Amino acid sequence: MNFFNSQLSTLNPQLPKWLPLGLLLAVLLIFPIIIEGTSYAYLSRMAGLVGLYALLALGLNFTLGYVGLFDLGYIAFYAIGAYTAAILSINGYSFLASTFAAIVVSVFVRLLVGVTILRLRGDYLAIVTMGFGEITRIVFNNWDSLTNGPKGLPSVGESIRPVKILGMTLVTNTHYYYLIAASVILTILVSQRLENSRLGRAWVAIREDEVAAELTGLAVARLKLGAFVISAVFAGLAGSIFAHWERFVTPESFVFWESILLISMIVTGGMGSIRGVILGAVLLGGVPQLLQAALVGSRFIDYRYFFFGLVLVLAVLFRPQGLWPSKRRQVEILETEYVN
Amino acid sequence: MSTNPLLNITALSQSFGGLKALDSVTMAISPGEIVSLIGPNGAGKTTLFNVLTGVYKGTSGQIRFQERPIRGLAPHQIVPLGMARTFQNIRLFTNMTALENAMVGRHTQSKNDLLWSLLRNKTFYRQETEIEIEAKKCLATVGILTSANLIARNLSYGDQRRLEIARALATKPKLLILDEPSAGMNPRESQKLMELIRHLKNQGLTILLIEHHMRLVMGISDRIIVLDHGVKIAEGTPQEVAHNTKVIEAYLGKNAAH
Repeated sequence: MNFFNSQLSTLNPQLPKWLPLGLLLAVLLIFPIIIEGTSYAYLSRMAGLVGLYALLALGLNFTLGYVGLFDLGYIAFYAIGAYTAAILSINGYSFLASTFAAIVVSVFVRLLVGVTILRLRGDYLAIVTMGFGEITRIVFNNWDSLTNGPKGLPSVGESIRPVKILGMTLVTNTHYYYLIAASVILTILVSQRLENSRLGRAWVAIREDEVAAELTGLAVARLKLGAFVISAVFAGLAGSIFAHWERFVTPESFVFWESILLISMIVTGGMGSIRGVILGAVLLGGVPQLLQAALVGSRFIDYRYFFFGLVLVLAVLFRPQGLWPSKRRQVEILETEYVN
Repeated sequence: MSTNPLLNITALSQSFGGLKALDSVTMAISPGEIVSLIGPNGAGKTTLFNVLTGVYKGTSGQIRFQERPIRGLAPHQIVPLGMARTFQNIRLFTNMTALENAMVGRHTQSKNDLLWSLLRNKTFYRQETEIEIEAKKCLATVGILTSANLIARNLSYGDQRRLEIARALATKPKLLILDEPSAGMNPRESQKLMELIRHLKNQGLTILLIEHHMRLVMGISDRIIVLDHGVKIAEGTPQEVAHNTKVIEAYLGKNAAH
């Protein structure tokens, strides 16, 4: 009996903390290879799309999640990134060059918009950003000479070239899945590092109480603008990847609904929580598509957004802090340490 | 007063439309003093704090802090000069830990770090450690170090008030402005608060407070300034102010004064 017990205790040590995350990452890394060529291959494309949503949601998390700015027009900067990349690629520029340009243009426009509107608060900011999002889409829809209007880019006879990176040409959905996964990981790293810094704390403090933050010495206006601009980096990046992957952009991809969806991902997952935002992107970006695939042919297919909406309402009712909220960092305290 | 005043207010007025919330208030505070601002509700005490800290810009008059004119500056420009405050209604960063609240207070005492935080270089870690140690010291000073990891909203009422003071202390102020620090505290808590304020004074801080709790005011103030309807009606030691007829009138009505 004793022997058995001691055996058990050595066999059953605490599972290492990284194990679940490690397993999940391993699965995410290899599943596209396994399903390639099977009838489930469409899942790679779906996962890629969810990844793009995650990338965008993590970008929007800088403003909506950390600082609490109610930004309803984020999709406009995704559109600006996508169109910039598309136009440059059509004119012969490489993926890296057009992505860089997409980021720069998104950031620049975001800076101009931010300087003018960030003094607005709460609901006013929401209305103005929503307006900007719609204006952007309408401009792309009507600026025929540059964007080919509702017909989209490229025009007949032109093409967006596939991504060439590190000597490889990305062709399949699986390839793009990996490109997107790498971008998401990079974005997570940036988010984590900024979140756990003086800057990240300042952002969250502004979200918690703007007046107290200003009176604690934070230059609230400048800090807000910083978050606003940084978030555009990821919109530009995602836009360029999207343009190169689809090799086609139209204004239709950048409707107001997409901004709403991104906000829902963040609120449902947990404002300012990296893991929560990713969970939100997976649930809200992936589940409707899965439902569509699962319900095709059944008489429930028309109800899929009904189920989707119901889940959202329940989630927000019962988990107002988000499905997977962030944990605040805990520190070690030695009681005798600072007694004066 | 032989030393130069730390804070010098001359003929300061603040109007809101037709209402003169502050009417040509003049006062000075010397380094190391504890000065209490008292007066009936609506006398303009909090308005004065708001003009001092940059929330309101003031309509006319002058504020000099360490000889430097500060009226009209933004709050985040005033804090680094060495002025920090707490609020009448507690305003904490409620979903951050107590320690993080105090760490935010270190913001003006540390540098911009976008690149450092991304690269996680030595400077970043050195600064983070320093911010954390200084924040812990402030929590220890107000006596809530053991609650460092608690979410601010879960602290007891008295500890939340203390945390506000700790956050203000983290900005390394020369002048600490406390807006009704003992509001809602029980007698034992306000007793401890009084000891804390004295301790801070002994550390070299200058303190300006609004307080309704008369025993506390009489017990710790070096000087008391009385406002009524936006006008300074009296100023002096606790003894002088307690026997001032204008003050008794303002608080209790005309008949009581005679």
